[in-house]
Amino acid sequence: MSIDRSTQPGADEKDAGSVNRVELSIPARPELLFLARMTAAAVASRADFGYDQIEDLRLALDELCLALLQVPTTAGRLHLRLTWSEDAIEVAATLEDEDAPPHVLPLATASSVPSPNELSERILDALVDQHGVDHRDGITRSWLRMCRSRDR
Amino acid sequence: MKSEANFELSEGARKGVPVLEVRGEVDVSTSPELRDRLAGISEAGQKVVVVDLTDVSFVDSTALGVLVSGLKRFRSDGGDLRLVVTQPHIAKVFEITGLTEVFAIYRTSEEAVRA
Repeated sequence: MSIDRSTQPGADEKDAGSVNRVELSIPARPELLFLARMTAAAVASRADFGYDQIEDLRLALDELCLALLQVPTTAGRLHLRLTWSEDAIEVAATLEDEDAPPHVLPLATASSVPSPNELSERILDALVDQHGVDHRDGITRSWLRMCRSRDR
Repeated sequence: MKSEANFELSEGARKGVPVLEVRGEVDVSTSPELRDRLAGISEAGQKVVVVDLTDVSFVDSTALGVLVSGLKRFRSDGGDLRLVVTQPHIAKVFEITGLTEVFAIYRTSEEAVRA
């Protein structure tokens, strides 16, 4: 896991543009998803989100990863990038299969895009402000954005 | 590889009704154990089961899927799968997925058995 703290390009350190980032790379195995959830909770806590939002982010990130793990893979790695600022936390998750050519997923075609099941979709819709899946250069990326609640 | 997630099942009975107490995190890696235990209870001829989630700290969509499948199985045999949910953040997951309209949810296993 790596941790980075930097400012957005052109932003003054004193401004609210300060962005923190944590990256986690783990084997893409379901039994290791708890590590992703622990990281989400730690980041949300570090970002001073409230208890309810910490729990929400744990679940939302789990669902985000489940969408990717629906792709059959044997030796892939799950990469997570969590960034947070004063207003929001963003998570991007990608799956890389070590058996496939670099940056190309074996099943990353338009017809086999992993889609969350209905329950997962309802959970993400309810818990985060934005979420989605996109595909670029053969990489499938699922992502979410959770804004800080003002109801603390 | 065995999951490092905290998870435990224990089975008891109240007034002849099996009560399955679940502890810890029910996710994609641990929910198959819950599915298998529910199937075993059904295959043993039990019509009704109570699943007590009081000490559960996390459920995701795969856990919900297992519970829905179990519910269908018990109801198709003329029985029921009843839930005990007390923790607000677990209750919230059932609410946002609309499953509070599907499951009979109680505050205690005593209530669930009496229903």
